[in-house]
Amino acid sequence: MAHTSAIDAAGSALALPGRAPDRHFKWWIIAPAIFLLLFIGLFPLLYSFAVSFQRVSMLENDTSFAGLVNYGELFRDARLWQSLLHTAVITAIALPVELVLGLLMAQLFLERLPGRQVFVSLLVMPTVISPIVAGATWRLLFDNRYGPINQIIGWFAGKPVAALWTVNPDLVYPAIILCEIWQWTPFMFLILLAALSNVDKSLTEAAEIDGAGYWRIFVKIVLPAIWPVMAIALLIRGLDLVRIFDIIWALTTGGPGTMTETISIYTYVQGFQQFEVSYTAAVAFLVILLLTIIVTWAIRRMGLAK
Amino acid sequence: MMPQRPLLRRPGPVLALRYAAALALTVFFVFPVYWLFIISFKTPAEIFHFPPVWYPQSIQFANYRVLFKDGDAATVGNSLVLAGVSTVIAMVLGTMAAYSLVRFKTGGENLAVWIISQRMMPPIAIVFPIFLLYVYFGWVDSYHGLIILYTAFSLPYVTWMMRGYIEDIPIELEESALVDGCTRWQVLWRVVFPMARTGLFATAVFTFVFAWNDFLFALVLTRTEVITYTVQVTHYFGGQSNFWAKIAAMSVLGTVPVFFTVATLQRYLVRGISMGAVKG
Amino acid sequence: MADLKITGLHKRYGPVHAVRGVDLEIPAGEFTVLVGPSGCGKSTLLRTIAGLEEANAGTIEIGGKVVNYVRPRDRDIAMVFQNYALYPYMNVYENIAFGLRARKTAAAEIDQRVRRAADMLAISGLLDRLPRQLSGGQRQRVAIGRAIVRNARLFLFDEPLSNLDAQLRDEMRSEIKRLHQEIGTTMIYVTHDQIEAMTLADRIVLLKDGQIEQQGSPLDLFERPATRFVAGFLGSPKMNFVPATVVESAGTTGLQLNDGKGLALPPASRQRYALAIGRAVILGVRPEHMARARDGAEADGHARLETTVELIQPTGSRTYITFPLGGTSVMAEVAPHDVQKPGDPIRIDLDLNRAVLIDPDTNRVI
Repeated sequence: MAHTSAIDAAGSALALPGRAPDRHFKWWIIAPAIFLLLFIGLFPLLYSFAVSFQRVSMLENDTSFAGLVNYGELFRDARLWQSLLHTAVITAIALPVELVLGLLMAQLFLERLPGRQVFVSLLVMPTVISPIVAGATWRLLFDNRYGPINQIIGWFAGKPVAALWTVNPDLVYPAIILCEIWQWTPFMFLILLAALSNVDKSLTEAAEIDGAGYWRIFVKIVLPAIWPVMAIALLIRGLDLVRIFDIIWALTTGGPGTMTETISIYTYVQGFQQFEVSYTAAVAFLVILLLTIIVTWAIRRMGLAK
Repeated sequence: MMPQRPLLRRPGPVLALRYAAALALTVFFVFPVYWLFIISFKTPAEIFHFPPVWYPQSIQFANYRVLFKDGDAATVGNSLVLAGVSTVIAMVLGTMAAYSLVRFKTGGENLAVWIISQRMMPPIAIVFPIFLLYVYFGWVDSYHGLIILYTAFSLPYVTWMMRGYIEDIPIELEESALVDGCTRWQVLWRVVFPMARTGLFATAVFTFVFAWNDFLFALVLTRTEVITYTVQVTHYFGGQSNFWAKIAAMSVLGTVPVFFTVATLQRYLVRGISMGAVKG
Repeated sequence: MADLKITGLHKRYGPVHAVRGVDLEIPAGEFTVLVGPSGCGKSTLLRTIAGLEEANAGTIEIGGKVVNYVRPRDRDIAMVFQNYALYPYMNVYENIAFGLRARKTAAAEIDQRVRRAADMLAISGLLDRLPRQLSGGQRQRVAIGRAIVRNARLFLFDEPLSNLDAQLRDEMRSEIKRLHQEIGTTMIYVTHDQIEAMTLADRIVLLKDGQIEQQGSPLDLFERPATRFVAGFLGSPKMNFVPATVVESAGTTGLQLNDGKGLALPPASRQRYALAIGRAVILGVRPEHMARARDGAEADGHARLETTVELIQPTGSRTYITFPLGGTSVMAEVAPHDVQKPGDPIRIDLDLNRAVLIDPDTNRVI
């Protein structure tokens, strides 16, 4: 019994010279990272939070507490909700397409194929380009007079086509989504290819011997096996889509009018063109809140232990 | 990646069909890049030619010469400095942080989750307060300002990726080093970093590319002194058609380094993605 | 002055109490083996000595100095790991020199020491190879070389031979023994293999559930085990345990087995067991202390019984047979041609002089 109490009072009972060396090492080496992250991660949040309750803008510099004025305006701001809608539309269309297309491509390249390395290297190109360059590229492609896309469509239509992809309200969304899918499907493709390659062959072989058909094996065995990776890829890609900015900026700058304005573009406009500091802070906060909810929901629903 | 035995032996797509599909996909994904490249080599007459010129008569470097003469090409140098320095710092700090988390479980689950969840932070939400802060410090349009930002923004990713690689290092190697004569600090540099080499490369490439390709932060936090190639490209927007050549040339200048880097380090990358993705 | 002295050591991992109050004193130059089944705390004890784990209570003294809070590198110890822990990106020379380099030793001295250690272990020709180009045995030598080169006061071995195949293990065992004879450093060796323990140790420390069950020279523990656990752990094949009762019959003390058979106890031990009359005990007899009965009278302290062979397992030089005794199956060692086939009758001679009686309640040897 004397022993147990000695252990419980470990430190004092020992009364030895010196203290555990390197006790603080683990804190020293992580401190710089934490410090930087606080600067980037915590400070803006706190600042935004504080400022969103004030009335600071280009016109006034009233830093007194103004309650939920800005947040109230949020709800009345149709343009804001429009931008959220735009964002949702883009995400809802692009994400599944990227996933399915990426999966198909991964499946295509999974089995042996001569020159596979070359193919994969080429297919990766769109992903490593800067999104702004991708947008610029497609802008050139979509040009109504000199762009190859209209030319190609013209071949099929039998007559010259001069579609205004970046201006015509009916075409802007397809244009944006096409560019986005072009750039990021290879990303999904790579990740899914790696995941599929890592599926334990003995599982599928056993199923084959048992007589299961292709689809059954795919749905019941392969998909569950790659689900964790797929979930993370979806999460990452989904978040990126919600934050989409560069591509749209290059293609339409949110236009025509505010037709393709997503939440990121709207926030940018409010902050850097209108200088509505407080209002922007409130919007930013809303965005963070939204994303946190989405992420938490997604994580829980996908059953990821983070 | 080694070619696999077929995952599913099934009667279905013959090799030719698969090849056709692969070719079609490749054309779709590569053509835009090709188009961008050839515009940069075309003469103005060829660029603004209807119908479009699919194959330039000759390779002209005139557009590039203009960029170099005007000093615009220097923006690639800026991108290099910003992305390069921030990547190095992020790799060092991030790996140290990952080591602390893995070997010492510093801060428990909560700290690890917090660090990694910072990756979810939407740039648009933080860019404005950071801008104001930078104005206050006088850091707008400075190298160190963007470097700090890029570094901080890359940390969660680096920490997340390196965690997996460090977990793979057999702990006996570190313990042996400790007994043999290393301090904790020496163990980090003499054992951990060398052992995690592959992971370091893979993660560094991704980190570098992210910073290199960034637009929003560069747009907001720079003015005239420190312009990255991404921002420079947008300077040529504006409806004036004769800037197309510049857009293309500038884009190519900014893209070729990335292609080159990715191509040479391909081996590491594939392993990096699969390990990172599989580990989660 | 003892080279290593441990007093009242405790180590906990959360709810698991791995080391519960260990006291150990090891004089300089001795080869001590910490042995026991997995989970007994031997590795934890070793790692705590090395400084890779921090003790919750108790003191560790190396060379008379309390080292509880001293860094591993400053404890003047060297360690050989089960998985060799060789740095894959360094060649053999660099691996061996690693510790010296970390301590900023002069290059000339490093070279001299490394080559000397390599000579001692017959790996001089491998100095510029990488670990992946070496065989298991060679890697183990490099790991040992790395330990020798530092002239440490204390050598720690954490199950170094577990990853080697049987033949290599035998070879390396001799190497290690020879090494100890040559350099005479105090060595502490952890293993779960009782043969390694018996052959290598000057002193065996047998651990069970975080405590020292018994310590002493190998023959001490083998011939005079203190508990059932010690008796059963050392020796291969295991000692047989048969439940019995101590009875008084015909004026002498003897044993009554559960199947009715009676065995007379040797006169020398009758005194000792007199107090146990009427009590249930467990009889412990080693297979090698049984044999096929020869013609003629029993020797003093031996007992004979008639039984039937159940199982025969020949190994070449010896044959092990199993037969029923006292309600349980028991193994005996006989000469290869003493038995023909299962079911044959056989007369067994037991040497009860070497047997032990164990109190079933305390599991201690009486």
